[in-house]
Amino acid sequence: MNSAMIRAKGQWTDAETIVEFCRYAREQGLSTSVQETLAALEATAALDVNNSEDLKFGLRSTLCSSKDDWDLFDECFQTFWGGASAFPSRIRNSRKELTSRAKGRNPRSLMATGSGDDVSSEQDGSQAVAGASTHDRLTKADFSTLSQGDLAMLEQISLRLFKQMSRRLARRRRIGTARGQVDLRRTIRRSIPRGGEPINLRYRERKPRPHRLVTLLDISGSMSPYSLFLVKFLYALQKHFRHVDTFLFSTALVEITNLFRTQRLQDALQALSQKPAGWSGGTSIGGSLREFNQFHRRKLRSSDTLFVILSDGWDTGETGVLATELGTVKRRVRRLIWLNPLLGLKDYQPLTGGMSAALPHIDIFAPAHNLESLLALEKHL
Amino acid sequence: MSRDGVEVTNMGILQDLPSGAGHGVDAIVSGFERLGYVTDRSLATAVYLVTKLRKPILVEGHAGLGKTEVAKVLASFLNTRLIRLQCYEGLDVSSAVYEWNYQKQLLAIKIEEGSDSTVEEKERHIFSREFLLERPLLQSIQAEDASPVLLIDEIDRADEAFEAFLLELLSDYQITIPEMGTVHAKHVPYVVLTSNRSRELGDALKRRCLYQWIDYPSLEKEMKIVRTRLLGIEEKLARQVVGYVQAVRGLDLSKPPGVAETLDCAEALVALGKLQLDEEAIEETLGCISKSVDDNAKIRSTGLGKTVGQSMGEAL
Repeated sequence: MNSAMIRAKGQWTDAETIVEFCRYAREQGLSTSVQETLAALEATAALDVNNSEDLKFGLRSTLCSSKDDWDLFDECFQTFWGGASAFPSRIRNSRKELTSRAKGRNPRSLMATGSGDDVSSEQDGSQAVAGASTHDRLTKADFSTLSQGDLAMLEQISLRLFKQMSRRLARRRRIGTARGQVDLRRTIRRSIPRGGEPINLRYRERKPRPHRLVTLLDISGSMSPYSLFLVKFLYALQKHFRHVDTFLFSTALVEITNLFRTQRLQDALQALSQKPAGWSGGTSIGGSLREFNQFHRRKLRSSDTLFVILSDGWDTGETGVLATELGTVKRRVRRLIWLNPLLGLKDYQPLTGGMSAALPHIDIFAPAHNLESLLALEKHL
Repeated sequence: MSRDGVEVTNMGILQDLPSGAGHGVDAIVSGFERLGYVTDRSLATAVYLVTKLRKPILVEGHAGLGKTEVAKVLASFLNTRLIRLQCYEGLDVSSAVYEWNYQKQLLAIKIEEGSDSTVEEKERHIFSREFLLERPLLQSIQAEDASPVLLIDEIDRADEAFEAFLLELLSDYQITIPEMGTVHAKHVPYVVLTSNRSRELGDALKRRCLYQWIDYPSLEKEMKIVRTRLLGIEEKLARQVVGYVQAVRGLDLSKPPGVAETLDCAEALVALGKLQLDEEAIEETLGCISKSVDDNAKIRSTGLGKTVGQSMGEAL
C-alpha cells in the first residue's frame, strides 16, 4: 500500500495507522476483513483527513456492515484515537497496548465472554458488554448430554421434514394464467384447436412461496429437562429450511437465527451458554411476545408463516399481556402452533394461567416431550 | 478520477487523490439541501464515498426516515437517471433483469415462415434486442451517456437466491444473456440498496457495500426538515408538531412514527387551518402519526395532547 501518499496529508492518518485501526476494530468484534481495510484506505484517500469528523464517518461507512457494527464503531474510534481532535503521537503507543491486550482472543467470542479472570480486560470494551448482563445472571449449562445416536436421529427427522415439505410444494405448483415462465408444453397443447397457432400462451405460475417458520423456544427453569434437546432440534430445522427465524426466551427475547446459521452445532451451543437470555431462569411469555411483536413483527407474513411456540405455559407475568400479544401474532400468521412438553404427561390439563389464556388463539396444540411427538409436528408444516 | 471508467481499481483511486476533497462532502450537504433533503454530515460523507469509491451503499433504518429518498435525491444531484427495482419475495430474474417477448417472437416466426432466410438468420433475428424486454437491472448497465443511480429498494424482502445473483452483478457489472452474449456496463451505476432489516442480509453482499444507518433525527434536524419541506408552516406550529412526534417516539409503540409521519401530520394541520397543536388537533390528526388501534389507544392514554400543547405553549 502506498502509505507515503496518504501520510503526506496528515501524520496521524498514514496508511499504517489506518490498517492498525482496522485490526483493532476487528479485535473489538467489528466484522472487518482485508476487503474492508482496503476500502477504508480508499476512503481515507478520498476524504479530507484534516476533518476528523469526515474521517470518522468515512471509516464508519466502510468498516461497518450492520447496525451492531455501527453501534460498536464509535467506541472503537474513541478508544483508538482518544477524541475527535487531532490525534497526538502518543496515541500510537497506547494503541499498541490496546492491541496487545486483546491479543490471543477470538474476536467473535469477545462480544460474549468478557472473561472475569483476565485482569486487563477490565479496562477494555468487552467488560461493558458482559456487565450489562450481570443482573440477568445466567446459569451456564453443559449441553453435551445427548448421545451421538440421538443426534443422528434428529438429523433424519429434519431431513424427513424437508423432503415432505418440498414434495408438498411441488404438488402445489399449478398452471395458471398469471405471469411466469411460458409453459411450452401446454401452450402447444392449447394451440391444437387453432390449427397449431400458439396464440394463447400458458404460463407456469410463480413458485408458491416457501413456508416461513418462526419458532420461539422457552428456556426457563421449568423447561430445562426439555430445552437443551429442543435447541438441538431447532438447529436441525434451521439447517434445512430456507426461512427459519429462531428465538429463545425466558424473561427476555434473544434472536439466535444468525448464530445458528453461521456456526456449527457445538460452537452454537457453546455461544448460547454465554447469551444473557437467562437459562433456567423465570418466564415471561407475554413480555417476550410483546418484545417479538415490537421488533420482529415484520418477519411474519400472514399468508405463509407458521409460528411455533415451544413452552410449558408457566408464565410469571400478567396473563392479559400474553393473550393480547398472542392475538396480535395470530392475526399475522397462517397458523399458530403451540408445542407443550407437559402435554405428554398423562394427567396434564392446560389450566395454568398462561396456558388457558393462550388457548383461544392457538390453532394446533400438541405435545413435544420426545422424538415421536416432534415427528408429529411434521404433519402441520 | 474518471466517473466513466468501467472498472475502477483500488490502486487507481489511491494514485488519483482528488484535490480539496473536503469540499466534496460540503457540496453534497448543500446540494442535497437545495433539493429539499436535509442531511447530516455522516450520511453526506457516505454518499460522497459512493461517488468516489464507486461502491454500492446499503442504507438501513426504520421506516419513514428517507432511505429511498437518498437515491432519488442523489440522482437529481448528479443530474442522472434513477432506475428503481422494488424487491419483493419471489422476485426473479425475469422481472428483475430481462425477459424475452415471447408473443412477438412467435409472431416473427410466423411472418418469416415464407421468407428464404436460413434458420440461423431467423434465430439471430428473434433473439435480438428488438425482442428483449429490459428490466431494471439490465437497464442500469445499459446506460449510454452517464452512470445512472440504481435503487434496489427493500432488498431484505427478496430471497437469498436473488441476493446471490445481485452479488454477482455488483462485482462485475455485467449480465450474461445465453442467447445473446454478455452485456458489459459502459457506465457503472451508482448503487443504493435499502433494507428494513426484516432479515439479515448475506455477509458477502454486506461486505461489498458501504453501510449507513439512518436513525431518528434530532429535534433540530427534524425542525429543519419540516421547515424545508413545508415552507408555509408557522414556526410555533412546526415546533409543537416536532416536539409532539418526538415524544410519541418515546412511547412504547409498535410502529413509531418516522419523519414521513411528522410531515404528514404537519401538512394535515396546515390543511385544517390549525394554528397550534391542542388536544383536539392531535385527535384529528392521530391517523397521520399512528397506524394501529393499539398505538392510538396508547397515545390517547398518555394525555400527550395536554402536556405537549401546554409545555410547548409555555416554551414559546
